[in-house]
Amino acid sequence: MFAQRGRFIERSLRAVLSFINDAVLAETHAGRPGFLQARDPRVKIAASLILLAVAVTTKSFAALAGLYLIIALLVLCSRIGLGFFFARTWVFVPIFALAMVLPALFSFFSPGDVVGHVRIFALTLSVTRQGILGAALFVSRVAVCVSVAVLLALTTRHSALLRALRFLGVPQIYVMTMGMTYRYIHLFVEIVGDTFTAIRSRVGHAVAVPSGRRIVAWNIASLWHRSFDMHLQVHRAMIARGYRGEAVAARLFKTTRKDWMWLFAVAAVGYLLWTL
Amino acid sequence: MDPLIYELTGVRYAYAGRFPALCGVDMALRRGEKAVLVGANGTGKSTLLAMLDGLIFPDAGALRFDGRDLTEPAFDDPGFSKDFRRRVGFVFQDPDAQLFCPTVREDIAFGPLQLGMDPAAVETRLEDVTRALGIADLLERQPHQLSIGEKKKVALAGVLVLDPEVVLLDEPTAGIDPLTTRHIIDMLCAAAAGGKTIVTATHDLHIVEEMADTVVVLGRERTIRRAGRPSEILGDEQLLWENNLVHIHRHRHAGRVHEHIHLHSHDHHA
Repeated sequence: MFAQRGRFIERSLRAVLSFINDAVLAETHAGRPGFLQARDPRVKIAASLILLAVAVTTKSFAALAGLYLIIALLVLCSRIGLGFFFARTWVFVPIFALAMVLPALFSFFSPGDVVGHVRIFALTLSVTRQGILGAALFVSRVAVCVSVAVLLALTTRHSALLRALRFLGVPQIYVMTMGMTYRYIHLFVEIVGDTFTAIRSRVGHAVAVPSGRRIVAWNIASLWHRSFDMHLQVHRAMIARGYRGEAVAARLFKTTRKDWMWLFAVAAVGYLLWTL
Repeated sequence: MDPLIYELTGVRYAYAGRFPALCGVDMALRRGEKAVLVGANGTGKSTLLAMLDGLIFPDAGALRFDGRDLTEPAFDDPGFSKDFRRRVGFVFQDPDAQLFCPTVREDIAFGPLQLGMDPAAVETRLEDVTRALGIADLLERQPHQLSIGEKKKVALAGVLVLDPEVVLLDEPTAGIDPLTTRHIIDMLCAAAAGGKTIVTATHDLHIVEEMADTVVVLGRERTIRRAGRPSEILGDEQLLWENNLVHIHRHRHAGRVHEHIHLHSHDHHA
């Protein structure tokens, strides 16, 4: 759509749309029959919090390895491909961990036994054993935490996950607002995708960078107007069905004995790992 | 004769006080009546429906519902507001505006729960309505995963679950396939046979005969040009021409292109 340098805009648009569509596709795992998919979302959140608490408080590599093993078993029991799962989680781990952990390798942050040196221009930095261990512990914790969060998101429908936030004491108005935001992101993604196709069909591929920017700016303005118009209509639709500022939500969750047994098992194993 | 449920006298309305949408509308609807509002684009049909649902209010003139003035202050009374919302349901033209909950089940249950219905009763009603509309298998789906026909049915279910006395519909068959249209019309006819007042705004003259005891034609002047029985309105070719409501069919007969007006006011003889 845009000239060579302007392809940045096209690539960015495609990347954003693709990311959001991937997030939607992730629901295909939540819809499959599987061990975690069958659990009550509130229980899953509670179990995830237990695993997260163990991960962030333990100093034992064995405990973290045990947690990771449990997560891998749960992935398999939930009919999610291990390859897919690792790809999903290990994209985030470097983002969250590596940038923060690098300085901790060196002696000025982690003094101790020097195991090597790194030269950066005229500066010589000493890497310590304590620094490496600290960094490894941090990366392992991040890996477990990200894995728990991704597993929860993959095995729970987004709508159920939002509803379950009520269990954590999040006020109904926020849960409802987040649900509506999630609902309308899809609609606006469709609109942006259709607009993008319509532009391509009319202007082809070669558009000068300034024109490309102008087209994108027009579309942002158009989308803003449409979202504003939609917000008015949605508000009317809510009022028409009796909304008066305090939303009442359906109670759709039912815990089973299996859910409670699962939560107890997670708590017990979590405690055992924490004591290692 | 059944008592009046709506009375409009000299109703005027302008968006932002500058863009006229209704310019003096006089209309009365009887309880249990089926009325269809027809008119070209921009003649005020959707505005009139929004007004009948108490979402906007006249700048001038009077609007009465069941003998009571329908004004903005009247809705400050929670009792009146709840009673009105329970008695009047509105199916919006754009189902994406109406389906704002994360799942179909939550969306259909939204109205009854806001109006304080017992959750167990809501669940029973929900099952009945979704079974009747053939959408019981969509309950756990998200609105963005539905086709336009499915969205229209879910939007209708979200209103019928309230079992309202009055159902207002804005273009209920726009953009949907013929069989889905048939299904929706059948549901609405069944609701009308059960005594509900049904007010439909549409361009689709195919559905008028079935959906109307009274047809109300809104003109470009944004007033009512004429109201009458379907046979009277649909048989008045000049009125339809003047109001952009003529269907012109062009097709090929024996190698020659043939064009004619398609009227909807004909009797079918066995």
